[in-house]
Amino acid sequence: MPEKRLECVDVGSEFCPCYLADTNDCITCSHLQGKDFCDCNWRGVCVYQEYAMNGYKSKNSREEFISKIEDKKRISDNCTLLKLKVTKTLARQLREPGAYVFLRCKNSNHYFNVPMSIMDTDEVNGYIYIVYQILGSKTKMLDKAENEILIRGPYWNGLLGIKYLKAIKNGHCLIVAKGVAQAPAVLVIKKLLRNNNKVDFIVDKGNINRLFIRERISNLNSDLLNIIEENISSNTGNEIIKGKLENEDIDLVFSGGSDVLHANLLSIIDDLNLSPFMVATNNNEFCCGEGICGSCSTYLKDGRSVKTCKTQLSVREVVEGRIIRD
Amino acid sequence: MTKVVIIGGGWAGCAAALSAKKAGADVLLIEKTDMLIGLGNVGGIMRNNGRYTATEENTLLGAGELFDITDKVARHKNIEFPGHNHATLYDVCKVEPTVRRLLLEKGIEILLRNRAVDVVQEGNTIKGIVLANDDIIYGDVFIETTGSTGPMGNCLKYGNGCSMCILRCPSFGPRISISKRAGVEDILGQRGDESYGAFSGSCKLNKDSLSEEIKETLNTKGVCILPVPKEDVKLEKLDMKVCQQYSLKEFAENIILLDTGHAKLMTPFYPLEKLRKIKGLENARYEDPYSGGLGNSIRYLSIAPRSNSMKVNGINNLLCAGEKSGLFVGHTEAICTGTLAGHNSVRLSLGMPQLELPRNLAIGDIIAYANEQSKTKEGLKKRYTFAGSEYFNRMKSLGLYTTDTESIKRKIQRMDLLNIYNEKLI
Repeated sequence: MPEKRLECVDVGSEFCPCYLADTNDCITCSHLQGKDFCDCNWRGVCVYQEYAMNGYKSKNSREEFISKIEDKKRISDNCTLLKLKVTKTLARQLREPGAYVFLRCKNSNHYFNVPMSIMDTDEVNGYIYIVYQILGSKTKMLDKAENEILIRGPYWNGLLGIKYLKAIKNGHCLIVAKGVAQAPAVLVIKKLLRNNNKVDFIVDKGNINRLFIRERISNLNSDLLNIIEENISSNTGNEIIKGKLENEDIDLVFSGGSDVLHANLLSIIDDLNLSPFMVATNNNEFCCGEGICGSCSTYLKDGRSVKTCKTQLSVREVVEGRIIRD
Repeated sequence: MTKVVIIGGGWAGCAAALSAKKAGADVLLIEKTDMLIGLGNVGGIMRNNGRYTATEENTLLGAGELFDITDKVARHKNIEFPGHNHATLYDVCKVEPTVRRLLLEKGIEILLRNRAVDVVQEGNTIKGIVLANDDIIYGDVFIETTGSTGPMGNCLKYGNGCSMCILRCPSFGPRISISKRAGVEDILGQRGDESYGAFSGSCKLNKDSLSEEIKETLNTKGVCILPVPKEDVKLEKLDMKVCQQYSLKEFAENIILLDTGHAKLMTPFYPLEKLRKIKGLENARYEDPYSGGLGNSIRYLSIAPRSNSMKVNGINNLLCAGEKSGLFVGHTEAICTGTLAGHNSVRLSLGMPQLELPRNLAIGDIIAYANEQSKTKEGLKKRYTFAGSEYFNRMKSLGLYTTDTESIKRKIQRMDLLNIYNEKLI
């Protein structure tokens, strides 16, 4: 059997084709993988055509620039909200669910680049909002940034199953988010409401101990948005999720949290013999964001290694890949 | 009931759908664009040279419906142009809706704007076809008529880039080789210099952009021949094209226009500024491909190895037809191979012996001959058509070429194959 064709989130953007095309490692285009004939997972544009039209070389890659920290607020013991000044263009490019950037404290070197999901954007005034939790050396260093910060972006593969989010209209969606993963849920909820979907949002404060996105979503369409605050690891939490899935016709489920949460939701869905579209946070560890360094690799059933910082995979494939690797 | 799924709604796919339906199957036709008959929307040359014989043979075998349509919507009948006799030129603007209505009347289910991207397989048996929207179409037997042209990356690597042809890959997505997805390696056609693929052989000019005089000649005679300025004659261009039946010196030294609704220009591409130097073409513009001044689509990059009954080797329930089944050129060739594949799909599902057409019929011979030739290096550089070039010479030398319908009928009757395609098998 021929290999499964992969889907790169960057296809069609101003950053495609990238370095991977120069080295015959393009995620999408068979010609730019060194093969003789077309066999791609078509995303609406021909990557090879773009490459040829650009003089058989890759396009400019994302650059790092200095951004002003407009606001920095501690929202719990280990959690901080940043309001960053960016161009309106970048704010617009980052308004889609799954968008992320790399951040770094100005006086640290590039090892400290850390990927951060976009919580919200203000395209009119050119701001992005990010919440980070202090966990390891990168976030500890990031926390030192005061007036200015280094940003590289936009990147888009922070979620798995983005195509379902983009396609669903007038449906009924269940959003489950825990801890700091509340942040990427904001753009998801906004997108779903824009497309007239009914949204049940089950949120667990987790170890952040705060529903920090409340003010971002409280003014959204309350006819369509139903917020339930609950500890999703508890029996009650579990029962609520099960009840929603069992009794309401859920078209799409979003899992914002660890791979354990993804796996739990998948197993509830399987037990109930349902097949809603699955969307989830991409929890792989991104380092370069360009599909080069390999820190974000996961494995497909056929044993192939896939760079998840750019490749769209199904939630199931990623969860299964984790099990294979572990 | 047997469910036959056909992938690709060009002439071959439409013909296969009709014959599978007549043999008693439930038929579903998948087409990626919003129109049936594929390249038939810009072609239009029928019955020239040996195609006349093949048309009569297929009709007498019981599958004349599509030829009835192309005859009925003909703009010109019995015309001649260099190297070609008794041609019919159908109106490309009228034929597709007529074919579509016929298929729907016959109860064939048509899925337009649905692109097949993969197969669901159990061993060497195909269970279903995966569509671009992740839906799966299950069936008992499958016929691949996806052609061998494009998509964009191939037209760029082996040609001059996407020239925006009727296949409209940028809008509807690329052709996918189903047989290759099922694990069967494609056969590739070559040009004389052994590079892969070949340019489509003609482009179309907007008739309204031509001089009144040329328009008048086209409308009344169907053909208009204009000499090319000496400095612009390029004989080497003849080697790069698909249609070797039109690879004649006359086609390099002259601009040959045929009236198919558009003005069909018998060359793969022609720079617009050079074209406009010719008297009467001062305002010419392209209709298909839109960038006909630059290039044309690249074909023959995806041919499935098959038997003479049109079954793909190595897959239990996949047949093929049209360009997918060999280095064939033309609507007639697509319809004849498609009809046989459709008929045999039902035989295959019932475990009946497959129909192979005898080699004393032009259709039977071209199917077998193209198959033999595809196994040789030189054979991969040739194209097979009833209309000219090597195969038409072969037809003449074997006595297969005739325009005498009665003699064809007697032959087919003798073989006991008259109307065989009309037999309901289920």
